Amino acid sequence: MNNPGLITMWLGLVAICISSICYGALCFKKESIATRSAARLSFIAFAVLATIASILLMHFILNHDFRYSYVAEYSSRDLPLQYLISSFWAGQEGSFLLWVLLGSWLGILLMFKARDMEPHVMLVYNLNNIFLAILLIKQSPFRMLSFFPPDGQGLNMLLQDPWMVIHPPVVFLGYAAFAVPFAYAIAALWRREYDGWIKPAMPWTIFAFVSLGAGIIIGGYWSYKVLGWGGYWGWDPVENASLLPWLAGIALMHGMILQQMRRKLCKTNFVLAAFSFILVIYCTFLTRSGVLSDFSVHSFVDLGITGWLVLFMFAFLAISLVLFIVRAKEIPVSEKGNNMSYFSREFGFIAVVIILCLSTVIIGLGTSAPLITRVLEKASKVSTEFYVDTNLPLGILMLFLLGFVPLMAWGKNSFSGLAPKLAWTLIGAIASGVITLVNGYPGMGVLLLSLFAGAAVGMNLFLAQRLIRKRIIISSAAIAHLGVGLMFLGIVSSSAYDRSEKVLLAQGDLRNAMGYEMKFQGPRFSREGKGVRLHLPLDVKKEGGQFIARPDIFSERGRDGQIKRFSHPHIRRGLISDLYISPVDFDPGDMQRDQGSHLHLTKGQKAGFHDYEFTFIGFDVSGMMGRKAAQDMKVGADIIVSYKGAEPINLKPMMIPGKEDDPLSRVRLPGPEDAFLTLVGIDAGTKTVTLVYQGREPAAKKQEKIPALIAEVSIKPGMTILWLGTFLILVGGVIGIVRRLPK
Amino acid sequence: MKKSYIIGAVVIALALVMAMHSFRSTLTSYVRVSEARVSKRPVQVAGIVVKGSKRYDLKSNSLIFTLREDGGDEMVIQYDGPRPANFDDVTKVVAIGKYEPKEETFAAKELLVKCPTKYEGRVQGE
Repeated sequence: MNNPGLITMWLGLVAICISSICYGALCFKKESIATRSAARLSFIAFAVLATIASILLMHFILNHDFRYSYVAEYSSRDLPLQYLISSFWAGQEGSFLLWVLLGSWLGILLMFKARDMEPHVMLVYNLNNIFLAILLIKQSPFRMLSFFPPDGQGLNMLLQDPWMVIHPPVVFLGYAAFAVPFAYAIAALWRREYDGWIKPAMPWTIFAFVSLGAGIIIGGYWSYKVLGWGGYWGWDPVENASLLPWLAGIALMHGMILQQMRRKLCKTNFVLAAFSFILVIYCTFLTRSGVLSDFSVHSFVDLGITGWLVLFMFAFLAISLVLFIVRAKEIPVSEKGNNMSYFSREFGFIAVVIILCLSTVIIGLGTSAPLITRVLEKASKVSTEFYVDTNLPLGILMLFLLGFVPLMAWGKNSFSGLAPKLAWTLIGAIASGVITLVNGYPGMGVLLLSLFAGAAVGMNLFLAQRLIRKRIIISSAAIAHLGVGLMFLGIVSSSAYDRSEKVLLAQGDLRNAMGYEMKFQGPRFSREGKGVRLHLPLDVKKEGGQFIARPDIFSERGRDGQIKRFSHPHIRRGLISDLYISPVDFDPGDMQRDQGSHLHLTKGQKAGFHDYEFTFIGFDVSGMMGRKAAQDMKVGADIIVSYKGAEPINLKPMMIPGKEDDPLSRVRLPGPEDAFLTLVGIDAGTKTVTLVYQGREPAAKKQEKIPALIAEVSIKPGMTILWLGTFLILVGGVIGIVRRLPK
Repeated sequence: MKKSYIIGAVVIALALVMAMHSFRSTLTSYVRVSEARVSKRPVQVAGIVVKGSKRYDLKSNSLIFTLREDGGDEMVIQYDGPRPANFDDVTKVVAIGKYEPKEETFAAKELLVKCPTKYEGRVQGE
């Protein structure tokens, strides 16, 4: 065993088991200071070991230790520092480690905050960590290869974005935090403290909501900015996987407030806490076990953790159910239950909890469709319409409530007392309705959604400004609800009023698209890492202003040897609407000569090119022997070249992985004077080399063809409002955490 | 309270019935190309994009390509929705839509390619 990472993880598992045993002893026996210290110390040991394991993995990534298959799969020498760091969580194994790491840190905080409930809370919390640690050992990021690849496969191009560096940690922080309210809920049932758990668990719940929410929003923003399909939410299972626990968490948050203020929903909150946590595991199961990845008639990939995840889920489900059923009779029902007015703040809270739960169940049903239908007949999937159609009425209802419930007091309200205060609601609704209708009737459902979203904005804007002036801390809900209203306004305008057209732009031509005058300047190439970026600058003019739009297409050879292309849109942001220019297709015309042509050769493969015939014999790694430092490692490619059927000669271009423009990488070709071959890429996994040929094109190909670009130009109104709304939701959440911290 | 429970239950049941209805009607199952040609409901077909068959038709504003199933059966797909990222040169795609016998093309409403945030394959040869 010379694998320090694996040893660390095993030690971590041992530490967390010891901690659990000690906490278990504290739960069943009398308090003992020695046992408590042992429990705490071994938990701290677990956190330290998780940290060491993470530092080790980071160390291997930063030092390009490609003996570790994870490092070889997700990083490479040419990655800049920030993407080397993010390749830590680019894959399944690393992100499990990140989850465990964040969970262990949160656990230390929890341990010192839980007070009386510590043994029970920590025991439940530890069970969760034990499961995760086992998963991590099953799918370890420290698996080693039997050889030392010269370079790794690199990070998926799409993930090379600053937002994707922080997205996974934020999501996993949320995932890890959802275990805390669950631990509190189980501990409360166990200890018969049916009310006492709400107060300490509340800030954790809001924290989980904020971090998972931030993760979801970052993901949507990245999708809009990078993927170039023009949207921010596609109802993809991976996206839904974070949305489901989030919605359940919002329901829990509201239920907790209602219990704290009015002692209602005491039973429901236990169910909600368990529901949101089990959804985290269920969604991990859906997206990680491979049950959805290729659910066609063929088969599905089992990565070996499916069983564990299912066991994990059912274990917690069983614990929650049994304990809940045993205790159900004792849990107090609200004393004033019988005379609750329908026109009250309480009723609004209950309604919103029901709406959010329904939405969660429905989205969960849609996401699980392939699983459900597989049992019945053929594996099927629901289209995105399903999610939109079913959530639209729920959204309308929710926004309708947001337009007046925040004004209401607990207990009885009279309509006559409330009516005068509804001016802002009315102004918001009218303004939004008028703006919507001026731009065209969008259908009844969407019109209602925009009316009530406007009402919610009006109401909560009024409340927020009033409360901020009183005391900023009590404005948390108003700010978050204002954000919800704005977000829905943005969703309505960007999805119902999105206009686009595709244009063909030949180099130098002037074209009109969506009211803008566009001129394609012509393509420009740059080498980036293992690929090539094709810059497609456009002069864009509209009366008064002009700017240069810079969409681009990045191409690189993927793991399977296929060329992958990634189009990046250019987004011109505006307060009212965004101009979104996305490259759809590019025809290079006649421009091979100056740029050089790329050749990809697999070991043993013979390829004809112009007047040449190339054969790639194999790698020459003699340049790597006896060298320690990575920057000295030279790899050569043995290539046999024959010109016009003449006697073949042997060429050996060399390159230093990750370094560009080494003079040794360029070799002269036989035949014409100015023909060169440059080695630009090697891939040990697929045994492929990438070469660039620069030289004369055969005369026959000379015909003038101008490079042309097909671009999709869209106007997306309301995007700025949408992002502003999501930002306010998070701001409101952060203020909410502070507000609900136990004094 | 009893009355409110009943009202609540009815509302929830109604919502779930609506959801189930929508669930059934938007459900599309995976079929072979030969089955897709005769299906009256929207379905999903999976296969690879035949090399060189992909083109953009600016008149109909759509993407047209030939899809080849693993049995070798081929079908022309026309798609005019937002282009999925990374569509160019992907190997495997799933098209969701309906076959139009008149045009002899499959009108796709949705195209699925492997999502980049799903985890990719692993290194072989340990």
